[in-house]
Amino acid sequence: MSELIQLGAQRPKAPAPDQLELRFSDKAIAELDALRTHYPTEKACILPGLWIAQREYDGYLSPAAIAEVAHRLHRSYAEVEGVATFYSMYTTAHQPGRHMIEVCTCLSCHMCGAYRIADYLEAKLGVKLGETTPDGVFTIHEVECLDACDRAPVLQVGDQYVGPVTEADIDALLDRLRNEDSSAVVQLADSIVQVHLRDTERAK
Amino acid sequence: MAAAVQTETVAITINDIELHVPKGELIVESVKRLGLEIPIFCYHPRMKPVGMCRMCLVEVGFKQPDGSVRKMPKPQAGCTLPASEGMVVYTDTEMVHRDRKGVLEFLLINHPLDCPICDRGGECPLQNNTLAYGPSTSRFLEVKRHLPKAYPLSEYVTLDLERCIQCGRCVRFTEEISGDSQLAFRFRGASMQPSTFQLTDFESRFSGNVIEICPVGALTSSKYRFRARPWDLETRPGLCTLTPCGTNVFYDYRSGRLVRINGRTNEDVNEEWTSDTTKFGHDALYNNPNRIQVPHVREGEAFRAVEWSEAYAAVLGACEGKRTAVLAGTMLSNEDYYAWQALARTALATNHLDLRWQKTLLPASQMLKARTGLPGVQYGIADLENALAILVFGTNLAADQPMSYLRTRKAWFRNGARVVVAHHEASEAESFAHVVLRYRPGTAAELAAGLANLLAPELADATRIATPEWTEAQTGVPADRLREAAEALRGTEFAAITTHGLFDEANGVTAYQTLALLTSHAGGKFNGLVNHANEQGGREMGFAPDLGPGGEAVTAGMNTAEILQAAAKGEIDTLILVGCDPIRDFPDTALATQALENVANLVLVDSAQTEACAYASAILPMALPAERDGTYTSSERRVQRMERILKAPGESKAPWQIAMELGLRAGSSAPYFHARDVMDAIAEQVPAYAGARYQDIPETGVRLANPEGLTRSNDAVVQALQSLLGGR
Repeated sequence: MSELIQLGAQRPKAPAPDQLELRFSDKAIAELDALRTHYPTEKACILPGLWIAQREYDGYLSPAAIAEVAHRLHRSYAEVEGVATFYSMYTTAHQPGRHMIEVCTCLSCHMCGAYRIADYLEAKLGVKLGETTPDGVFTIHEVECLDACDRAPVLQVGDQYVGPVTEADIDALLDRLRNEDSSAVVQLADSIVQVHLRDTERAK
Repeated sequence: MAAAVQTETVAITINDIELHVPKGELIVESVKRLGLEIPIFCYHPRMKPVGMCRMCLVEVGFKQPDGSVRKMPKPQAGCTLPASEGMVVYTDTEMVHRDRKGVLEFLLINHPLDCPICDRGGECPLQNNTLAYGPSTSRFLEVKRHLPKAYPLSEYVTLDLERCIQCGRCVRFTEEISGDSQLAFRFRGASMQPSTFQLTDFESRFSGNVIEICPVGALTSSKYRFRARPWDLETRPGLCTLTPCGTNVFYDYRSGRLVRINGRTNEDVNEEWTSDTTKFGHDALYNNPNRIQVPHVREGEAFRAVEWSEAYAAVLGACEGKRTAVLAGTMLSNEDYYAWQALARTALATNHLDLRWQKTLLPASQMLKARTGLPGVQYGIADLENALAILVFGTNLAADQPMSYLRTRKAWFRNGARVVVAHHEASEAESFAHVVLRYRPGTAAELAAGLANLLAPELADATRIATPEWTEAQTGVPADRLREAAEALRGTEFAAITTHGLFDEANGVTAYQTLALLTSHAGGKFNGLVNHANEQGGREMGFAPDLGPGGEAVTAGMNTAEILQAAAKGEIDTLILVGCDPIRDFPDTALATQALENVANLVLVDSAQTEACAYASAILPMALPAERDGTYTSSERRVQRMERILKAPGESKAPWQIAMELGLRAGSSAPYFHARDVMDAIAEQVPAYAGARYQDIPETGVRLANPEGLTRSNDAVVQALQSLLGGR
């Protein structure tokens, strides 16, 4: 990214619509079509559309996932990418692990040792906050207030809160999650999609 | 179209001065009525306000019943504050000054202040506002944010993220004006950055505008980068001669060399926007390293530089008593076309002259005017804005008529106009179309007949067969969608727009004329525009094989294709090319090459060396549009004047001057000393320009009105339709 690029290198082009590798399942397409009817414009459907994509793309909104949502909602890629990168619950940085452990570090949790818990997680998993273990099982994140101060220090895994937690609880939690094949990040995305849908629209 | 609208006004007070403004007017606009100014970054009068930069903070209060003013505790952003009754605004208080200082201190925290190497330095709103309103020092001692510098977003636009103050003007431009939504803000907070999807190529036909509206040096022109300091530039108003729209621009030049083109405001034409063709296309033209400096005459294999007089003698010698033809490019001025057609028809005694470079070249008897009595241009670009419905037919509007495209989009974006787009391939206009009619290539005429069947009962006899179902079978456009399109247009005085590019499709002429006729019957207005810079002007000046100045009938000569065919067979002795290269401009390159090979004398009047030079017997250097005075008629028939901006290289002369001097030597031309003298002759000869005087053309140009009382005749088109539809 310097003057050199300007002089020599080829600029990458955004994929043309026919170059996209669309990955939405029939179920996802049906859900998106149902959600479209909830809003006056397709633009308004970007947020739930991204949740469907986050589920379909294993919890990671890759450029391809963003492009697919944009394509299906007839928006520009840039616009959808702007939305996806704005909200922190969409994962656009890199492919997260199967389970995302989010550590609340706001005031109450902080007072009750949230950073001790975070340090313990980092040491135990060998990765820093915001990173994913090499085996692709865990991603740990620092998040703002989870609105569960009564359970401080609290963790969020998928759509479950765990807390108050101690080091021993974390050992047990990690062991349990390691043996779970289902992905908490996909499960979280799915549960958010289901919340958006009307009962009649949910796949039975 | 719209009756005078009664606007409700409200009484507000700005800096203790009472005034009445329209209700809901933004305060940032209201203060301008007093000649005051509020500093701004993100606000742009042509885009929706967002209140992102907080530069326009003002103190606001409301009059209380007892006459006192109760101020709001916090300052308000003037760009998002609509005027309401009793509002009291202060733009010049201690608090406002402190606020402005604060906002600027914040904006400058992460701004790299690399003004000495920034293209914007010297014409930068951030510099100007800091000078006028900012703090003299910063309290920020920490390390500034570092981000990619000089990232090439496209061939034309270079992005410097460090300089960005996140005003969102560029993002809103692509969303609201050009409509491609290529730019968006990625990430948020301090890391927010305007960019394309994954920093891929910024593909837009209007990307150059974001460079001009960027209030800092974050978006700079890749072509202009580091080429000049703004205070070294000289600037003069001019016109774009690359697109048919007549876009108003500024030519910025340094030491006589063109360095950049900027948009110039003309509310009737381009507002303030330019297409990329306009903004970046002129550089290659004016700064062509192969400009011809002096006249040349062929001597064996080589060329010899000669005096003009010798060159003229050579040209006239080659023309005298010979079969001669003249072809012109589309970038000449009205005066050039007029002088050259006069020369061709008198001294050169030929009617073989043409400036059209399409495949399909209609004889005058087949043209819209002759066959239906309808003029081809019935409204101006600005009229599109007020249309309730617009039918874009058979053209990629953004490419062919960029300014008409922006107005069409504006009509949809601002006023909710219904736009029907009919074309055989995808185009930008589809993104905001109410109905898209994608027909199979070559079936435009059938689709036009189908629309006529639904919209023009007077044409029912001719189009009886063209029911929506039949049209679906012929064109592939679903019958229901056709009906939907007709519903969108019915009773709206819609504006139909197409271009002469449609002629090149199968039965395109019939489609074009049917469209004109059905639009007229349905109470709409029709524009069938030319696709090249001053093609419209050239035709009106009589630079056509079968139409004289003002459209009078003359003995028909050969058109472009016929001239080239004749030349290829050796039936033309002398071919004069004025500002064109058939090998480059004519669709059939093989024929063009063969023609140039077989012409005994090829006289070239051009600004730069082209492929045709290899076959030339004489080359005369021509000044480009910005290097001479002249008037130009855009596709909407607006006559605009461009005075000389740059010095023509070497001994180059204006084409009209070359024609005049040749005519003088042949004893047939009046001496013209200036383009205005040619204009006087045009005013005498061309009815539409009657009374026009060169120096009286206003800065915004004059749109030529259509003569009133034109009668409409269906016969010829109905006949063509019947033979087309009957043949099925």
